[in-house]
Amino acid sequence: MTWFKKLNRRNKSGIENKNKVGGSQFTTDNLPQEASFGTELDGNMSLLKDVFKDCSDLIFREFIMAQRDQIKLALIYVDGLTNKSQVSEQIMRALSLELPVATENEEITKANAFHYVKMRGLCIHQIKESEKIWDAIDAILSGDTVLLVDGHATAIINGNREWESRGIEDSKTEVVIRGPREAFVETLLINTSMIRRKIKDPNLKIEMLKLGKRTKTDVALVYLKGIIKNELVKEAKKRLKKIEIDGVLESNYIEEYIVDTPRSPFSTVFNTDRPDRVAANLLEGRLAILVDGTPIVLTVPTFFIEIIQNPEDYYQNYQFSIAIRMLRIFTLFISLLVPPLYIAIIAYHQEMIPTPLLLSIAAQREAVPFPLFLEVLSMEIAFEILREAGLRLPRPAGQAVSIVGALIIGQAAVEAGLVAASTVIVVALTGIASFTVYYSGNLAIRLLRFPLMFLSAFLGLFGMISGVIFLVIHLASLRSFDMPYLSPLAPSRLSSLKDTAVRVPWWAMLNRPQQTSGANSRRIKPRQEP
Amino acid sequence: MNKHYLFRNVIILLIISSISITGCWSMKELNNLAIILATGIDRNNDGKILLTVQIARPSAFGGAGGKTAGYQENNVWVISETGDTVLDARKKLEQKVPRRVYWGHNSVLVVGKEMAQQDIRQAIDFFTRSTIVRETMWVVTARGKASELLNSHSQLETSSAQSVDKMIKSGVGVQLNLKDLSMTLASDGNPVLPAMELTPSGVPQGPGLEENLPEVKQGEQKQTMVHGEITITGSAVYKGEKLIGWLNMMETRGLLWLKKQIKRGFVTIPSIGDTDEKVTVRVTESSTNVEPYYDGEDIWIDVTIETEGDVLEHQSTVDLTKPENIYALDRKLSNEIKQSMLDVLNKAQDEYRVDIFGFGDIFHRKYVKDWVKIKNQWDDKFANAQVNITVKSDIRRSGLITK
Repeated sequence: MTWFKKLNRRNKSGIENKNKVGGSQFTTDNLPQEASFGTELDGNMSLLKDVFKDCSDLIFREFIMAQRDQIKLALIYVDGLTNKSQVSEQIMRALSLELPVATENEEITKANAFHYVKMRGLCIHQIKESEKIWDAIDAILSGDTVLLVDGHATAIINGNREWESRGIEDSKTEVVIRGPREAFVETLLINTSMIRRKIKDPNLKIEMLKLGKRTKTDVALVYLKGIIKNELVKEAKKRLKKIEIDGVLESNYIEEYIVDTPRSPFSTVFNTDRPDRVAANLLEGRLAILVDGTPIVLTVPTFFIEIIQNPEDYYQNYQFSIAIRMLRIFTLFISLLVPPLYIAIIAYHQEMIPTPLLLSIAAQREAVPFPLFLEVLSMEIAFEILREAGLRLPRPAGQAVSIVGALIIGQAAVEAGLVAASTVIVVALTGIASFTVYYSGNLAIRLLRFPLMFLSAFLGLFGMISGVIFLVIHLASLRSFDMPYLSPLAPSRLSSLKDTAVRVPWWAMLNRPQQTSGANSRRIKPRQEP
Repeated sequence: MNKHYLFRNVIILLIISSISITGCWSMKELNNLAIILATGIDRNNDGKILLTVQIARPSAFGGAGGKTAGYQENNVWVISETGDTVLDARKKLEQKVPRRVYWGHNSVLVVGKEMAQQDIRQAIDFFTRSTIVRETMWVVTARGKASELLNSHSQLETSSAQSVDKMIKSGVGVQLNLKDLSMTLASDGNPVLPAMELTPSGVPQGPGLEENLPEVKQGEQKQTMVHGEITITGSAVYKGEKLIGWLNMMETRGLLWLKKQIKRGFVTIPSIGDTDEKVTVRVTESSTNVEPYYDGEDIWIDVTIETEGDVLEHQSTVDLTKPENIYALDRKLSNEIKQSMLDVLNKAQDEYRVDIFGFGDIFHRKYVKDWVKIKNQWDDKFANAQVNITVKSDIRRSGLITK
């Protein structure tokens, strides 16, 4: 690469720059947005080299066109982001060796070189032209190859991005037994292609925009035109365009900008890594926001009831799905209310327990030296520690943690008389129950359990019920892209309840959810019951 | 817009409520409770009230560990204290009991004989007023002293209180809980409570479980190898709030028939023919209908009982497939049931002269206006009333025939 460096560095006087650029050296900070290329190749090159100073992964390759010395070409690209064989075969070889064979008797001059390059020489499937320097810089950084032709102020941007990416794997966040296994990956285009493969409809629109001043992350808005409400698309675009951020590394960077209620523990933007779930949401008239660099896709609007919905509910016998959903509703209550209830009843309302159970619990608690609240709280925290450790530890060590944790907390603490066995049961049940519902939605529940425990420790059942009432009021006040978070439960519509606590068979799910679908709400033809 | 106000308001609300409804005031840690399982009230000779409580000892319940291996610990603590009133005694009890006395799980209230003969109202008054005490607790009458009855163990249940609770629930004797008792007293009724005493029941199952049986207690207290179990041995009949007499188990069953409280049970009758052999019939269905009549002067009451049953045990070899034999058994069953009712009826009418069957209520419902006039002399009227009992039995299944 050293021979690049030897290329003479000239001053900028050679550039025919319409927008007078001041200063001797160009950097990204002082290069105006509208700056455009000059016709002199050398000047353009040195400008780009200034911009990409100290970027060792940038490659500047100059060569001549069609064996004619007077016509110079230059390629600029990032090493590792482009398909190198394409660059050498379809661009360099085509332009320098194959073009002269094909155009042996034609006169190629500096003036018509651009036409020959673009229309006859390049064997690249997708090219773009731009005179703007910034366009070229962005394209180079995104992995495209920029071709500059001497004597012409237009850059040809060749779309031959290619980089190493992770293969498509099983979904890690939502596991199903029956149903598609594939999950999104970090590359945006693979993700959009996965959605396109599921919905082969020209109405499936994929609008791209870039977010992040430094990262310039590609963000795709995906929706099904004709099903989605137009205001939703407008609103989403409005919110996205307002974002000014230096970097977007994960979809949560965007999520926290576009939620309706940023101070609520409940997330009013849904996220998933499952293409089938995104496709299902699109078919219900929702909008998906894909962010390059993360497999987690956002969909809006979202409703509280989605916490207990799982893709598999739709892939298996509906009666079983109903039973499982009932179970999830139950576990939702368990994971939120059982520890506070346990504290309230054991410390305040012993009358509510049957006598044999009370005696049994009293016997277990007899040797425990701590107040009940402290005992439950410390066990809950211990469980959260275990859970966090299990998540973060390198996988081989994770198993050891769970075994040691289970042994220490489950058995040794009870035997040492530090903790009552019933408390261990309560905490373990709570922890396990919280895994049955949708993970991200459950974070708020996990968090709110603690204030509820405080309330019931200070005020008994009265405190717990007050907390629950406050929680319900808060939930009812939430909006997800201006749609009530608790719908279709509140405000409730009977027709929309077909996919909530129950999941009716597919031939009975006549309409799309009322909240999200616009005028076009009929989903299937009625009376198809076999 | 007003999100910040909301946050501020919540903080203010929390501060206000932390001042006005200061937390924890009603918190009772389980470790600080003396859970009372049964309570006994006696009248001492000096006129004071003797309060006996059976307190659970959680440490003896074993919990998670296998503490009970080897020998059985006494898992209740029975302690007595005297006082002018029940609460007075309770107050003195706190000098001995380090934990807070907790009545919420008291399931049995035992009233001693002397107390009951004087006035049961004084024994139950505190319990009906208190908000912590369960109104569903059973009230029973001890044939002796309540304190002796409570000082006992159950071989099957964790405490004798739970044993009594289950026994009464199973419907062996009469059932009357605190609420029903106070309602009966308030409406000038005559309550009938289960009568209980300790009876010898096998040998004690381990050291520390010898019982202080009243009849074997004197002199050789710890040498006795007899276990005493609380047993239902009939019923206690009250006239108003005063105990006036007892019913044995047979009479109690008659009473239950008349009070429509028997739905199923076993009746043993002589078999057909002149033998000593017996038949036991399981009554599977039963309905009782009581119809009082009043002509302005006399009262007569028609009681009709219809039962169905199966032969479950048969000592003789009479062929029960023959209809005439079954009909004969039907008649015997009817007579047996009728006789048990007549026994208790005669005792109530002639000996105690108290309406313990709730006939007064039924009469009241039918003759609302007449009731007002004869209310005060109802017990006399009842004692002189003619009660016609008709029993129709129908044995449906004779069981496997082996001839």
